[in-house]
Amino acid sequence: MAATTTTTDNDNNSFVFPREYHFPAFFTRQTNLTTLHAQRTKWSDLILSYARYHRIFRLSLSEAADSDLFVNRKLDRRLQFDDIRDVVVFMHKDGRVEYVGGGTTGDVVLVYWRKPDEWAELIENYVDETGQKGSVLTIYELVEGDGTKGTDIHGMDQHVLIKALNVLVKRGKAQIFGQDDSLGVKFF
Amino acid sequence: MGGNASKVTAQDKAILDMKNQRDKLHQYQRRISVLTDKETEIARQMLAKGDKKRALLALRRKKYQESLLAKTDAQLAQLEKLTTDVEFALIQKDVLFGLQQGTKVLQEIHAEMGGIEHVEKLMGETADAIAYQQEVSDMLGGRISNQDEEEVEEELLALEAEVAQELPSVPIAQPPVAEQRQEEEAQAERRKQPAMLAA
Repeated sequence: MAATTTTTDNDNNSFVFPREYHFPAFFTRQTNLTTLHAQRTKWSDLILSYARYHRIFRLSLSEAADSDLFVNRKLDRRLQFDDIRDVVVFMHKDGRVEYVGGGTTGDVVLVYWRKPDEWAELIENYVDETGQKGSVLTIYELVEGDGTKGTDIHGMDQHVLIKALNVLVKRGKAQIFGQDDSLGVKFF
Repeated sequence: MGGNASKVTAQDKAILDMKNQRDKLHQYQRRISVLTDKETEIARQMLAKGDKKRALLALRRKKYQESLLAKTDAQLAQLEKLTTDVEFALIQKDVLFGLQQGTKVLQEIHAEMGGIEHVEKLMGETADAIAYQQEVSDMLGGRISNQDEEEVEEELLALEAEVAQELPSVPIAQPPVAEQRQEEEAQAERRKQPAMLAA
């Protein structure tokens, strides 16, 4: 999975880009340090809200570089790949991005428009509301099952889900068990 | 209720295995659904081209896939029923455990009470104490009754005295009654006279 295939902005999808997206300077690395920081913060916010809107959990930077996220075709402007990488590094320090496979570099990142802690709380509430404490649930069931349809949990990236569940494990609220390709979780 | 320590039991693993099987069937069903949709589309395209044989072939494949879907539906229902039964059996186990705990507590309470023999002994002692108290009350009651008897006799004398005083007032009442009778006779005579005059 990656960013949506390239389309003209606001035509096929109705994501509303922020005001700065329509300013040419937004796509050029700023030399003033204060302005540069503000620019990166705005790019970080844009990436998070874009990923949230399209429910993108996993982002390939090389693919996204050509998507409407980083390319404004009306302005004929694009964020250079090196600058994209710098923004991602900036987000990584903020805990809003994690490189797949761990570490501090890579092409594919998990985008935390909702952090694992926040997902953990969501999952715990879902389990409470559906009276499934003390029950065994499969990872597949949480992500793809009929039970979670209509909730944000449905369609989650399994990697992100497991990170969220590990938060609950540390709190003593859940236990993950089973084979690697067919994990289950019990909630307490 | 029940020792719900935060660890995974053998039953949990069994449930996970069954649920994983269910998930695999679920995925298989989705795959078949995609295939049946695809065959329908192929049939439509072939008919558009006028190739009836291939359209028919595509529909036959679709029919076969749908029969597979029906079989997996049955298997899925079976698995889900089994999973539900296992989970319910676990609940029943918890209920049974609860009953056992309750019974055990009740037995401990009985033991603390000393058992039926102890209760019988206690009841006997209680009855004895009550009987003893009754005798004590009877004795005290006997003494007090003497005093009560004296008071009763005094009360009787007082009543007799009151009755004697009331006697002289009786003759005074007779004359008014006699006078009333004389008046009545006079009125009767007066009524007779008008009748004779009228005649």
